[in-house]
Amino acid sequence: MGSNLIGRAFESFKRIGEGLRTVLMHSFREPITKTYPDTVSQIAPHFRGRLALSVNPDTGEHLCISCRQCERVCPDKCIEITAHKSPETNKLELIDFKIDHGLCMFCGLCTEVCPTTCIINTNDFEMADYTRESLVYDLRRLTLTQEESAFYFEAKDMPKPKPKPPKPAPGAAPAAGAAPAGAKAAPVGAKAAPAEGAKPAAAAADAAKPAESAKPAAAPAEAAKPAAAPLEATKPAEDAKPAEAAAKPQDSSTEPAKTVGDTTAKPEEKPTASPEVKEAEKEKAPEQGADADKKEG
Amino acid sequence: MIPNAPEIGKLLFIICFWICAIFLPVWLVSWAVGVLLPMLLEQGSPSMAMTATAETLRALTPIISVMVFIPINAMFMVLYERRALALFTVRLGPNRVGPDGLLQTAADAVKLLFKEDITPRGADAFMFTLAPIIFFAPSIFGALPLLAAITNNHSLYQITNLPTGIFYILAAASLPVVALVMAGWSSNNKYSLVGGLRAAAQAISYEIPLVLSLVTVCLMAGSLDVVKIAQQQDGGILNWNIAGGGALRGLDKAIQTKLGVETTPLITPQQSSDPTETPVAAPTTFEEVIHQYYPFEFLSYISAGVLIFCSFILLGLYLTGACAEINRIPFDLPEAESELVSGYNTEYSGIKFAIFFLAEFTNLFIVSSIATVMFLGGGDNPIPQWLLNKMPLEPIQKSLGAILSPFINGLHLIDPDTFWAAFWVIFKVYTFVFIAILIRGTLPRFRIDQLMDFGWKRLVPLSLIAFLVVVFARVLVVCHG
Ligand code: SF4
Ligand code: SF4
Repeated sequence: MGSNLIGRAFESFKRIGEGLRTVLMHSFREPITKTYPDTVSQIAPHFRGRLALSVNPDTGEHLCISCRQCERVCPDKCIEITAHKSPETNKLELIDFKIDHGLCMFCGLCTEVCPTTCIINTNDFEMADYTRESLVYDLRRLTLTQEESAFYFEAKDMPKPKPKPPKPAPGAAPAAGAAPAGAKAAPVGAKAAPAEGAKPAAAAADAAKPAESAKPAAAPAEAAKPAAAPLEATKPAEDAKPAEAAAKPQDSSTEPAKTVGDTTAKPEEKPTASPEVKEAEKEKAPEQGADADKKEG
Repeated sequence: MIPNAPEIGKLLFIICFWICAIFLPVWLVSWAVGVLLPMLLEQGSPSMAMTATAETLRALTPIISVMVFIPINAMFMVLYERRALALFTVRLGPNRVGPDGLLQTAADAVKLLFKEDITPRGADAFMFTLAPIIFFAPSIFGALPLLAAITNNHSLYQITNLPTGIFYILAAASLPVVALVMAGWSSNNKYSLVGGLRAAAQAISYEIPLVLSLVTVCLMAGSLDVVKIAQQQDGGILNWNIAGGGALRGLDKAIQTKLGVETTPLITPQQSSDPTETPVAAPTTFEEVIHQYYPFEFLSYISAGVLIFCSFILLGLYLTGACAEINRIPFDLPEAESELVSGYNTEYSGIKFAIFFLAEFTNLFIVSSIATVMFLGGGDNPIPQWLLNKMPLEPIQKSLGAILSPFINGLHLIDPDTFWAAFWVIFKVYTFVFIAILIRGTLPRFRIDQLMDFGWKRLVPLSLIAFLVVVFARVLVVCHG
């Protein structure tokens, strides 16, 4: 037993010596610390940072179709969408989009449900601000430029959205259901030039996904916003927001269905439990017609 | 070549800068109080009162220099520890305040002093205030006898030299435990109380191997006087207590005789003339000297080896005990941050917390200097005399002496003996501190039962065995003392 004890003592000395040597040798390794404000480390593209709304990198049209999926799914209820139905085209038109980054927990659920990959997490994490109010980003601050969108589409390996056709065929509606899934499956088609957007039927089935009407001469995303402003008067009527709070839990269960669902037929299909929402959507439904396009003022 | 060379360079720069920042003020203040002012006073009007004042000033020099030393040293040690730990953990460490984080701890100290001093509700205010003071005081007065030892018995510090120096130091070093229990109890906080009680249990257990290891060294040295112990070890690394408490001194002497070096002091001061060591007829050959120091031939060689082995064990025992005594990782159970939210000092803030902090790092310095004096020869140059004489140091010495002579002789600003002694002490002490930091960066914390087992079942018997072995082995060799 005595020799065992001595053996163990030597063993432990050896171990401690090894440990000390290892730690000492660490001092010859280059520090892994980044002195943050001086050097910013490369952040992975899938980092879940500040939320933003992307535009079509090729045409610059805004990708949001005001479907409110993100608003419903958000566990923190920090997204607030103001949209209205354009009287001319019977399509939903985005008026304002607010995200309270003070509430957001960057779970990324909204980016997953978005049928048009419009809302995305960016790499930006430097959002410190002086007031809580300034953490509420509005449409202008959320919308990315064309170049930024291109970067994120590239970095996140997302299929590029097809530009919207100016006048999709009414019959395209059922086929358009494949939009998100189809876009993923066929990324080759994603690089469609603006001119191609004018192609009818077959192309339109895929292209129905982008939320905004294709303008061959793509206006920048910013231009889209002021254009929506004059129509703001109709906003209250369209605003189904209060109802959505109640509808949210059910919605999360319907997400899978939605991702393969038809974007254009969405209002009718959505099995929302909340009567208010249903009603609001019913009212939209007849006007909405077969296409998801929204007229730009 | 070394990828981390810039960081290591920065750490070295910080060390150099701060050591200058510590010891230049200490040096100048003690010179001003101990030499300059008395000199001026006595020259101005040689009256009775003036002489008395001058003497008082001289007598106050040690305490004043310690008071200057402690806060600056604690600031340096905290920075040193943080930067060195950062190196070990592949980080950068504090590098924002001042160039390369040079002033980080100075800023921290200022911040601590301006913080509100909170006494928690239900706390025993008197005890609560007294605890940091009792914790801090021993580190001042306990350190004083060491001053004489590490300044090579400079005349200004002789007043701090006690015949029972190490005994006094150990007595002072066991006082802070009382303060820890007081702090834990008076905080009206269960975590603090547990921390304080742990501190008491730990200190009682680990003081025994600590004291036994030092007692064994004293046995080898034959003295309790730290100055004497330090002076015995003069003359190179072979004379230090770590090398068997003087068991290799014969070898040193024999080599000197062989090389025909007369032992003139070059950098180290004159060897103390110990009456027991000077033989009747000076031996002239290598063999004769060896025979004189190792009278029993083979048995003596073996016992010299045993003594050397034992002194390494003693050093290990001392460092372990000291680590536990000053509550450093891996023995930081009283302030286990993850279990006790820093234990006895949880409730402290502001200047009281600063005092705890100060005392902790001063204690680290003190145990390191005790180790230096008791094992590593105090202010002794590690290079043996006969090797030094071979080096071409003479011209450097001469030119340095020519430059510095006005300071040495005119102003008494530099005392050559003390200067080099202090240099080596500083070097050795901070090396021990570095080892403590390295251990902190490596070893995890003990569990309380492991701590007790390790103390009582391993260290105490080991120190007793080492004590016994040394008692018998030193008879066969001519040691110090
Ligand atoms: S990331 Fe999560 S919390 Fe933030 S807006 Fe999207 S769904 Fe809401
Ligand atoms: S398209 Fe995307 S961002 Fe726009 S409302 Fe729908 S889910 Fe939200």
